[in-house]
Amino acid sequence: MLSPAPPDTVAAIADPALPVAVALPATATPLSVDAPALSAPGNRTTRYQVRHLTRYRYGDRVSVSHHILHLVPRPHPRQVCDDPQIRIVPAPAARADWCDYFGNPTSYCEIREPHLCLEIESTLQVTVQPPTIDLAATPAWELVRAQTQVPVDDDDLAAAAMVFDSLLVRATPDLCDYARPSFTTDRPIGAAVMDLTRRIFRDFRFDATATSVSTPLAEVLNHRRGVCQDFAHLGIGCLRALGLPARYVSGYLRTLPPQGRPRLIGADASHAWFAAWCGPAAGWIDFDPTNDRTADANYISIAWGRDYDDVSPVRGVILGGAWHELTVAVDVEPLDELPPPDETADEIRDEVPAADVAPVP
Amino acid sequence: MAAADPSSQPSLFGDVDSFGYGGGAIYDEMVTGHGSLRPHWQSFMRALGPTEPELMGERWEEARRLLRQNGVTYNIYGDPQGMERPWPLDLVPLLIPSHEWKAIEAGLIQRATLLNMILGDLYGPQTLVRSGRVPAALLHADPGFLRSLHGTRPTGGIYLHLYAVDLARASDGRWWVLGDRTQSPSGAGYALENRAVISRVLPEPFRDCRVQRLSPFFVAVRETLARIAPRRDQPRIVLLTPGPYNETYFEHAYLARHLGITLVEGGDLTVRDRAVYLKTLSGLEPVDVILRRLDDNYCDPLELRADSSLGVAGLVQAVRAGTVTVANALGSGIMESASFKPFLPMLCREMLGEELKLPGVKIWWCGSDAERAYVTEHLASLVIKPAFVALGGEPIFGAELAYDDKAALVQRIRHRPFDFVAQERVALSTAPCWQDDKMQPRPLVLRVYLAATADGYIAMPGGLTRMSTAPGRLVVSMQRGGGSKDTWILESRATEGVVAVQPSPGPETRTSDVTPVRGDLPSRVADSLFWLGRYAERADSQVRVLRALHSRLVDGTRPGVQREIVPLVRLARWTGILPWQLDDPTDNPSALRQALQAALFDSSLANSLGGNIQRLRRASAGVRDRLSLDLWRTITQLERLSEAPGPKKRSDSAMLMRLDELVTVLAALVGLEQVSMTRGPGWRFLDLGRRLEGASQLVSILRGTGITQAGSRDEATLEVLLELSDSTMAYRERYFATAQRAAVLDLLLTDDSNPRALSSLLAALAEHLTALPRPPLPPGQEAESPANLALGLVESARQSLRRPALLQDGPALAATLEPLAVSLPEISNLLVNAYFSHAFARPA
Repeated sequence: MLSPAPPDTVAAIADPALPVAVALPATATPLSVDAPALSAPGNRTTRYQVRHLTRYRYGDRVSVSHHILHLVPRPHPRQVCDDPQIRIVPAPAARADWCDYFGNPTSYCEIREPHLCLEIESTLQVTVQPPTIDLAATPAWELVRAQTQVPVDDDDLAAAAMVFDSLLVRATPDLCDYARPSFTTDRPIGAAVMDLTRRIFRDFRFDATATSVSTPLAEVLNHRRGVCQDFAHLGIGCLRALGLPARYVSGYLRTLPPQGRPRLIGADASHAWFAAWCGPAAGWIDFDPTNDRTADANYISIAWGRDYDDVSPVRGVILGGAWHELTVAVDVEPLDELPPPDETADEIRDEVPAADVAPVP
Repeated sequence: MAAADPSSQPSLFGDVDSFGYGGGAIYDEMVTGHGSLRPHWQSFMRALGPTEPELMGERWEEARRLLRQNGVTYNIYGDPQGMERPWPLDLVPLLIPSHEWKAIEAGLIQRATLLNMILGDLYGPQTLVRSGRVPAALLHADPGFLRSLHGTRPTGGIYLHLYAVDLARASDGRWWVLGDRTQSPSGAGYALENRAVISRVLPEPFRDCRVQRLSPFFVAVRETLARIAPRRDQPRIVLLTPGPYNETYFEHAYLARHLGITLVEGGDLTVRDRAVYLKTLSGLEPVDVILRRLDDNYCDPLELRADSSLGVAGLVQAVRAGTVTVANALGSGIMESASFKPFLPMLCREMLGEELKLPGVKIWWCGSDAERAYVTEHLASLVIKPAFVALGGEPIFGAELAYDDKAALVQRIRHRPFDFVAQERVALSTAPCWQDDKMQPRPLVLRVYLAATADGYIAMPGGLTRMSTAPGRLVVSMQRGGGSKDTWILESRATEGVVAVQPSPGPETRTSDVTPVRGDLPSRVADSLFWLGRYAERADSQVRVLRALHSRLVDGTRPGVQREIVPLVRLARWTGILPWQLDDPTDNPSALRQALQAALFDSSLANSLGGNIQRLRRASAGVRDRLSLDLWRTITQLERLSEAPGPKKRSDSAMLMRLDELVTVLAALVGLEQVSMTRGPGWRFLDLGRRLEGASQLVSILRGTGITQAGSRDEATLEVLLELSDSTMAYRERYFATAQRAAVLDLLLTDDSNPRALSSLLAALAEHLTALPRPPLPPGQEAESPANLALGLVESARQSLRRPALLQDGPALAATLEPLAVSLPEISNLLVNAYFSHAFARPA
């Protein structure tokens, strides 16, 4: 007796609400269910083609929007990026590029035509060299801490600036307690941070449903779950709680498909890890607590800062929009394929000299 | 929007309490320790005459009357009655003799110069940190250091355009700096208003005391604002306020008028092509200078605090591009942090080659080992405060801590030493206050103001004196006569001796003597009024559907009821008022009853009445100052009626009464709009919203009830249509008969004498659209103006009402209504884009 739904059911209520400016949550990392894991050797210089697509779909027309992007790889001694391209649809009415306070290439854009969908796609070709890291040869962590308090040059100063709280990372006594066992007396800082990285890897479960961009660090610590961004923040918080400089690195990780399956385009995710200041000689060393390793040629750095908030890939403020839906697709394709790997991932761990992974007293 | 945000803008009064009043012998401003009147008070007291309660009471009443008349108010956060408290002003001014002021002035100018220079270094080369003269923590641990502003040098290297210092006089008679206000100091406008009132109430003392004038200071501020514009030719200057809920909103409006600049909220501005524009109904107007009353972090949700709804997205980018100057420069709040204070004497020697002239209250920054050790040992005699103003947090009085709390505090300081400072407790001087019919000494803090000019800083000869009404600890109450004081800086006696005494001219200028700024209606206001109209009309239509359904549910036995429920449920599901999955209600009345209650009260549902009334309320909050009190009260009443009642008050009859009441209150709203608003552009947009929504709702009702389906002659549907469109009475007056299709449709669609008929609504739309301003377009494209495009859509809709057989034939009706379901939302979009959000708009 009641007729079926007319196809234009929503037409009657689809009128926009009073548009208010809304800050878009920045890109979530990562959206995959599994931790971005790698199984490729990272010890050879590799050239990549990276495609990173961010798409917002809105429940209602967005009339004007402003965005800040961190999508172009920053200058880095081990990394060269040629001719990065950013495609934005609808086309921005104004755009500006500059380097932010931390030296990361940053873009600003204004979109002024009403739209229901926004696509931002970056395409990059990056060549990454593997680092040479000798964790055992780094100075004792206490020494690094002491030096940080009396900076003598710009590198020291940049490091000293990374000791303090930031919006998303507050160094609490709880974090200090968690970090302590890794920082035994006179232990080389590299070895101590590697140990901390390994403990985070073992103690915490990767769970894409457990946290969001706004989950506080204390909650991550309590529930022992999170995603790479949380683990990076955790490592940073632990180091800062001890008075050691640490920074957040956002980027991409090369992943390999399961044995016998083709590479899936767009199945990768953006990744995040942290870097620890290991004294003037060793400089900053990158650690990935999600994968229990130091970063190698499988890691492409985009930007670094105090935490995620400094370097989120895409953020914005929209006028209108009602609700929105976010999709992110990342594709990291090695262009110069290497011969089949003859080392296993486990062996890579042995960058850490055996003496340094001895059980913590 | 523009909700009160307590974390923004430290309270003008609350912080007086944090200075830790107590201890030490007290210095009184009026009398010496021996009980005799200080020399500079003598002519004042002489001119004042006898301080008899009756005479003073009369003067006080006169002061209150002037304040009321000028609408001087002060809002208190978190207080439901807090909106627009009368401004507390004491009758007796604070007097400062000329020679004393000269010394203070020189110290203030030096301090302003120093802090501005430090800001230039922190946001530029950072040599102070590089050279180790100040610890890195002072910069990097302070949330007030805005990295996104680093490297942006403001016009002329001026970071502090208007700067304030809080002073207190210690028992030794010297003035000490308690704190600096470097981002957007408040109170200068209140000081000016205090002067306007007191100079009228105490004309003789004001004349005889030869008081220095405040107005030249504001002239200088105005000149500075014009001078710092990146674009020199007739710059547009605006004062950016957080909105009417802010504590000192009165002052924002007052200063804007006094300085002759436009008062705007964040929603009035937009960034286009990396430059700031003011959105007006006639288009985008470039903005060159922003005098802001928002704290640093709230100014740009894109690059600063993302959760700020008060700022302007892209403002930092415009600053970076150098197209706009913000006063004070974004990021200058860092100089309010207590952490910097202990370093100022050293920095003054190094940077200016001089000794710091005005001493600061003693502060220990716990980031240094020796100072931390001192602080933890002497906790009981100190006040512990956050080192960085952006951290927030209350001062802690060490003396008041229990043993355990003290240990916990020491632990917190050890863990994050650089986050804490300790400050010695200070003895504040007292000044006479007229209270309880007599002069009583009350502690005071003096806020003084400086402005950057082409020749360096100048100080305002005066200030805002803030008082406690209690003699003991500084708890400031504004319910009584205390609160604030006018501050008189006296002309020098030396001059007096040489030149014949020239009485100062009459009272100082008040705002009403200044020509008000003519400005277009801001887009934000038109936007809010437009949506207020739309939501009100939408709620009205919803209430009628819900009431029609509910009454039939209650009275299920009346003949014809069951047949009438069918088109009603169909409509309600079609328009999203009821969920689509709802069972056939004739079988399951209790499910329908439940769904009706949800549709009424569950504001989480997309199209519930409660949700729409919330949106109505939100739209009206943005324009509250433009709505009459009655109108506002009606909206509050609507909000109350849309809140879910307790389970015991959900009987059928109670619900029906509630729905009747809602219909009545919504009708009262229409009436008040018509009688209490002037027919300016604001009202026009409100009415546009109403008519547009009314037309949309009518089209939905006609389509949703199924009347467009071929051959539908159902009498029940026609009855429902008459009821929903509030036209039953009109119909009966004319026809005295049961509902006939052609007659009902004529009444609803084409009868120009029925104000609710579609033809009437469209005619009103056409009239409004014709009257809208049209922003200039390139020659030859005038027809492309959004108002003309919208008008075209309305005209073709009116044309389609002349379709033959419209009133008889289902398909003909559908052919008219279906295009309307598309073109009416399109008209709305055209208006939104052209007049409110200014999408596509090319900056002039």
